[in-house]
Amino acid sequence: MTWLTWRQHRIQLLTGAGILAAFAVLLLITGLQMASQWHSALVACTATHSCSDQGGLFLGNHAVGFLVIATLGAPALAGLFWAAPLLAAELEAGTTQFAWVQSVTRRRWLAVKTGWMLLAAAVWGGVISALVTWWSGPDNALHLDQFNPGRFDIMNLVPVAYSLFAMALGIAAGALLRRTLPAMAATLAGFIAVRAVIALWLRPHYMSAITAFYKVTAGHTPPGSYWQLAQGVLDPNSHPVPQPDGPAAFGIPMGYLPASCAPLNDGATKVAPSCAQALAHFRGFLTYQPASRYWAFQGIETGIFIVLAAILLTVTAVVLLRRDT
Amino acid sequence: MTAVIQACGLAKRYGRVTALSDCALTVPDGRICALIGPNGAGKTTLLRLLAGLARPTAGQMTVLGGRPRQDPAFLAGIGFLAQEIPLYRRFTAEDHIGIGAHLNPRWDAGSVRDRLRSLNIPLDRAVGKLSGGQRAQVALALTLAKRPRLLLLDEPVAALDPLARRNFLAMLAAAVADGGLTVVLSSHLVADLERVADHLVLLASSRVQLCGDIDALLAEHQILVGPRKATTAIEKTRTIVQAVRTARQTTLLVRGNAPVIDPAWESADVGLEEMVLGYMGQDAPPAIAHLTTVGEDQ
Repeated sequence: MTWLTWRQHRIQLLTGAGILAAFAVLLLITGLQMASQWHSALVACTATHSCSDQGGLFLGNHAVGFLVIATLGAPALAGLFWAAPLLAAELEAGTTQFAWVQSVTRRRWLAVKTGWMLLAAAVWGGVISALVTWWSGPDNALHLDQFNPGRFDIMNLVPVAYSLFAMALGIAAGALLRRTLPAMAATLAGFIAVRAVIALWLRPHYMSAITAFYKVTAGHTPPGSYWQLAQGVLDPNSHPVPQPDGPAAFGIPMGYLPASCAPLNDGATKVAPSCAQALAHFRGFLTYQPASRYWAFQGIETGIFIVLAAILLTVTAVVLLRRDT
Repeated sequence: MTAVIQACGLAKRYGRVTALSDCALTVPDGRICALIGPNGAGKTTLLRLLAGLARPTAGQMTVLGGRPRQDPAFLAGIGFLAQEIPLYRRFTAEDHIGIGAHLNPRWDAGSVRDRLRSLNIPLDRAVGKLSGGQRAQVALALTLAKRPRLLLLDEPVAALDPLARRNFLAMLAAAVADGGLTVVLSSHLVADLERVADHLVLLASSRVQLCGDIDALLAEHQILVGPRKATTAIEKTRTIVQAVRTARQTTLLVRGNAPVIDPAWESADVGLEEMVLGYMGQDAPPAIAHLTTVGEDQ
């Protein structure tokens, strides 16, 4: 069966390997450039004691940066081009009627075929993730944004789980729809929908977020790559102050403040005593997931997608092994 | 003689559609069994049940000494070729030989190569680019290479030209004569199988109408030609399978070969095609039929 799986899918698998190799070369070259750029920037700022102000530094290259962000879609490619046709093409062409009358049980046929393709998907997701994670090292250190949506999704563990999920989704769609093109369409739509729902609505709640209150004049920045969920200012009655769209000081519209605060809007740095007294009644708040939870979130999200993949594969097995052909 | 296939009460429904109902059949070892019936009679369904590709809704069957099941040993004993001739279109015959070698415990790659070479079919061309007849030959050769004990072929000769049909059937007869092989092959044309088959399963309207050794079945049936009058006396000793009445005479296909005493009736032997056609269109086996299709006596 292993031989048959390889013989049937070697073109797809070799194409995938070729894409991985090209991507690796590109990221290795630009990644090494970025690392040395980052290193010399650090040397320079250490000499001038200005390392806290590196916000304007840009690392790398826009096109490659875009490509790295585009790896968000890499798991879907495995689902579309490897998984969706895996069973659908055979059911569509009727070749299961050839395979299933050789001396191999349907169970083994399915297990070996999906097993190797799942392994391929894990390697696909894993290699891309490893390259992107390594490449983004200086960028993460600079922007501290690896926990943010969009960055969280392309590094470390989760891309492997997404790839396994996309593979399982494509296989299940193929088994249920029995036609390649509809299975591909269903895989793409299903993958985007599930990823979006989980990333937007479920992920912020894996652990209850922390809300920090702080003096508006002092500000507050949690350590490391935290994930900011909400930020704002509460008025003296603890009602949120609307986002300023006019004169403001410390994020508070001038209408809420005494006239003595007006110079702040014009760039003054000194706070008048009466203004400071008024400001003391306002509190800033920051709702966030702290950087220390990054790996817990990676683990939870990985677990969710692996469980989803397992459910889809079980459905596939039931459909294919229980139903007549 | 042991039976390779034995089934009773076999039924298969797909949703509300009944493909087979209450089928009983026996095929002894070493036979070439013709599975004959009109289009849509359930021949394909029956073959798929026997091959273990589909599960019966009701009834029991024994194939090669056990129930058809997903088990390498059972599958190794069965050779099944579907009507659609399923092959991987982009693979060559040689690729298929490789697949068979990896998936089967007994595999006679040499026989496939020899057979295809003798038919001038290229081994190194994608089977999707071969003609329909050539593709059928590749698929048949691959099915035989598995060295099955029971060969189930669904309309195997439909894609072949008349000469290729004859050669293929002769080869099949030779393989059965070598021993250890039983064949069931379906067709809606009696003429295709008459030459080689020695056993018959006749399906019509989702039921087995006739099953048995062809010579024995023919000996049990008679054509009676007589005047256009009541057939009540005849019905006492035999079953009327089919009655055709013209203004002057009545022609009956009857089962039961007791001698005819009434001199008004003349009897004649029946041919396979006549017998089969007589049964086609039956809704139930004659033993339990009410013979409403025969027409009322006057």
